[in-house]
Amino acid sequence: MNNIVVQILLIALAPILGGLIYGLERKVKARMQRRIGPPLLQPFYDFLKFADKRKMIVHSTHAFLGLLHFVSLWFAVAVLIMGGDFILIIFLHLLSTAVIILAGFSTRSIFSHLGANRSAISVLAYEPVLIIIAISAYMLTGSFDVSALYASEIPVLFKMPLAFIALLLILPVKLKKSPFDVSEAHQEVVGGVELEYSGIFYEAVYTAKWLDYIFVYLLVFMFGGANIWLGLVLVALTFIYINALDNSTARVNYKQMLRFCLWVALPIAFVNLLLTMFGVL
Amino acid sequence: MAPIIVSLFILPVVVSLLLLFLPKAAAKVLTILATLTLSGISLYLYYSRGDQPIQFAVPAIVDKIVLIADFALLAYVIAQGFLQRNILVWGLAALQAGILAYLAMNMPHGEYMQFYVDNLSLFMFILINVVSGVIAIYSLKYIDEEQCSPFRKKYFLSTIFWFIAAMNLLSAADNLEYFYLFFELTTIASYLFIRFRLDKESKQNALTALWMNQIGGLAILGAIAYTIFTPGYGVPTFSHLLTQAPTVGVILPFAFLAIAGLVKGAQYPFSKWLIGAMVAPTPVSALLHSSTMVKIAPFIILKISPAIQGTPVATVIICLTAFVFIAAAIGALAQDTFKKILAHSTIALLALMILMSAVGTPVAVTAALMLIFFHGVSKCMLFLNAGIMEHVFHMKQTSSMTKLAEVGPYTSLIVAVGFMSLLLPPFGAFIGKWFSIETLGTIGGAVITPGYKLISALILVMIVCGGAVLSLLYFKVLGSMISRTGERDKVKFEKLHPIYRGTMNFLLVTVLLCTIALPWLIPGYFAPVAATIIKSGVPVAFEGFALTIDNVKLPLIPMIAAFVLLPLGIIAAMFVRFKNVDRAKEYACGEKVEYNFASFYFTTEKATPYFVYAGILFFVGILLVGYLM
Amino acid sequence: MKLNKYRKKSPWILHYNAGGCNGCDIEILACLGPKYDIERFGMINSGNPKQADVMLITGPVTKRSRERLVDIYSQMPEPKVVVACGSCTCTGGVFRGMYNCEGGVDQYIPVDVYVPGCGCRPEQIIAGVVEALKKLENKTKEIEKSVRLEVAPVESDNQINRREIAAPINNGGKPSVFG
Ligand code: SF4
Repeated sequence: MNNIVVQILLIALAPILGGLIYGLERKVKARMQRRIGPPLLQPFYDFLKFADKRKMIVHSTHAFLGLLHFVSLWFAVAVLIMGGDFILIIFLHLLSTAVIILAGFSTRSIFSHLGANRSAISVLAYEPVLIIIAISAYMLTGSFDVSALYASEIPVLFKMPLAFIALLLILPVKLKKSPFDVSEAHQEVVGGVELEYSGIFYEAVYTAKWLDYIFVYLLVFMFGGANIWLGLVLVALTFIYINALDNSTARVNYKQMLRFCLWVALPIAFVNLLLTMFGVL
Repeated sequence: MAPIIVSLFILPVVVSLLLLFLPKAAAKVLTILATLTLSGISLYLYYSRGDQPIQFAVPAIVDKIVLIADFALLAYVIAQGFLQRNILVWGLAALQAGILAYLAMNMPHGEYMQFYVDNLSLFMFILINVVSGVIAIYSLKYIDEEQCSPFRKKYFLSTIFWFIAAMNLLSAADNLEYFYLFFELTTIASYLFIRFRLDKESKQNALTALWMNQIGGLAILGAIAYTIFTPGYGVPTFSHLLTQAPTVGVILPFAFLAIAGLVKGAQYPFSKWLIGAMVAPTPVSALLHSSTMVKIAPFIILKISPAIQGTPVATVIICLTAFVFIAAAIGALAQDTFKKILAHSTIALLALMILMSAVGTPVAVTAALMLIFFHGVSKCMLFLNAGIMEHVFHMKQTSSMTKLAEVGPYTSLIVAVGFMSLLLPPFGAFIGKWFSIETLGTIGGAVITPGYKLISALILVMIVCGGAVLSLLYFKVLGSMISRTGERDKVKFEKLHPIYRGTMNFLLVTVLLCTIALPWLIPGYFAPVAATIIKSGVPVAFEGFALTIDNVKLPLIPMIAAFVLLPLGIIAAMFVRFKNVDRAKEYACGEKVEYNFASFYFTTEKATPYFVYAGILFFVGILLVGYLM
Repeated sequence: MKLNKYRKKSPWILHYNAGGCNGCDIEILACLGPKYDIERFGMINSGNPKQADVMLITGPVTKRSRERLVDIYSQMPEPKVVVACGSCTCTGGVFRGMYNCEGGVDQYIPVDVYVPGCGCRPEQIIAGVVEALKKLENKTKEIEKSVRLEVAPVESDNQINRREIAAPINNGGKPSVFG
């Protein structure tokens, strides 16, 4: 991750990569259910189709916030790829989520509102864990820069295994996957905040989901340290884990989700912080 | 220099007296002129500051006047307590009077200066005079709409100015006896302000504020007593105490002072008075909350931070404030009244400021100063805006704010900027929060004892969770405000009274400009102040578009980009309009029902008593630890 | 760039039950399951009119569901196609002549493909949707012109082929079926 050309290429191609991951995910999920599943490029077909629909919005504020969500998320991903400050990255990501939450609140639509409320709660669930992981990383490397983690000779995974476990526990919340997909819950709130978008404006929100994959898998990749292969293996394992979990579990309600994140994932991250602080590992 | 500083004390008093007698038009002109002059003086003082703090003594007669004034104030409090049958009020006041009389007899009369103006005082002057001045101008219009006699209107304005005088004096006082008087003066001012509307609730809350703040006064007296009777200290002045502290090694006086600060800063269990202060007219809430009164808390802690830094007292204070930060944030989630939400978030952010001040490393102190400044300006803006919402749009609850973006785009813009400046990356308060995370991380690494490390880690978790809860809160409020049914034709700012418009514009521009100018403000404005507090230079360096303070790096490019991108983007979202795009109805399963939307509320009634008990425990802990040391 | 050909690669489905007996709905859901797996055509049951391209309607359109049907239909952005699944949706089926419904969905919104059967089989539904996709490719982004449909008298219920009757007739600018 130290080559500037690679970095810029990665940033530019991030949405496309994310789309591929999403396509692969749909394929893998279908295979897990013994279906054939859509083609790998299905997300891009969806993308092109949406470009060709009649433009319809609820009101401009709502539509604009959707676009802003995409742009700001891309920005957060870019800072992450460039190896910027971890705390800043987390807050930028929080902001992009904030934007879409505000968009959800900005319409007088029941489902949109419920979705926004639930998204806000899930932010509350995963945000502390992420920041504590960031602080542990700081204790480890003495710098908040992610690039220090990318360059770490001993893989970060061996230094902070519990942090990795905590991250795995909150990933479904972040990616809106079952069992923690309350904020999207198609059967209950019809997609939540993204419900009122259509046509090219939905495209922004749809692609932002792909960017979220990139964001999350980069966080996982980070645990491989300087060892790119370990990083990729971790990403692959996480990918399978997330999809298996998504396919095999039922949705819990938002209270249970919050309780789980704050009483299970957070203490694990905290123990990890203590271990790093005392230099046990 | 000294005469100019003294003019900061005299001028508001003169203005305050004049305002009682002048007719309305003249009062208007006088208020504006006085504000301009006071702000000008405070800015000039900061600009022409020297390397050495300015110290000056006052004639001996003033000592006697101060003592008499002390007793007069206490007599007033006792009278109020008797009249309104509140035993806590008069009991505490009587106790203070007794202690004060005893101390006055034993007071050593050495050669010392009563006033000591360093960079921190100059910093406070700017905040007090500029922000309170804006509030005074604002209240010209606001109090006009209040239903009360013309005299009470004048009286209100006049009170604001003597409050400014008291605050100026307080931040310059070095002698603890003087400090006690000014502290009591601000307490009385808040009492008068809170009961201004004279209804039952106001009176009740005013009394609560009075007795709670009496405890702060009592604590200061305790500090004086210990100073006098501890061999080695002798003279009760801040500067003397701070220079002697390392040799004497008794930190109980500082524990007492810290308690005075924490009470004024409405930390648990004393948070009730600040929440109760919300019944007062809005400019009062702004005064008490944002610019001045509660800022006494971080001010005191900053002053004594060199003495308590690294001691168990500081540790207990840090634990208390970290706890208050998250508890107040959770408490805010249950509120619906806009002003109460602001009050709770004020308590939370105050806790953060005090925490930073108690940590006392160069970066932490800089962060505390930044938080004080930005919180002062943006909370003031939000409170004044709450007043506009109440008077112009008749909205008090967040749940009734749903149409605000339609009827008052300008007002909602202010709310948006205000909240974002408290939360989002490029703005000041965020950076303060960030620094706090970074410095606390460092402390854990620097101190070797495992127990301290554990505490530091726990505090980190509390801050992190509290931050997340606060952001949830802000989204909730912003979200309920931004909601809109359909497309708006064209954004047209609502017409506001020129005074409202002028003050809000000023504050808005100040917040935005200060944010953009942050890279220059930190080395030019905050770092020198921090340097005087910690008594050594604060290393600040620009390096490859990153600002480095001590050992904390601040990447400027992404932050400025984020500034352009997000807050401006969100604000732009309120005004953009897409052309050639069709509008559709919201999806509601095809139903045509009118939807009254709701937000999540979180009940915290069950938890609140425990917060209070925990707060009491911490307060006792501070004293105990201070005593045992 | 011509994007028309991507329409049929990712048709998102909205499924609406306008008062049917749920027989056809079960069949539609069966299509989504592993056995028939219409996701291999890129179809997703989105449940949200704003992002859907194909509307699958079941049921004879009762009086209560009529308004909602039209409302949801109008929230789908063009181009869109409507597939009427099941006999009762096409003609009224077993409900024909009842007090609470008229004969079929095409009296309220334009229908592109009729899938017969009471309940229609999943294979038929897939065939119907694939048929609809051909139409989808040639649609424009314009709002579909409303046409007045001649309504067959319900009393003389004698096996009418509704598709013949449903030819558009020039009504000289009269208000549409919506009015
Ligand atoms: S066509 Fe038959 S099976 Fe299908 S909904 Fe109508 S009545 Fe039920």
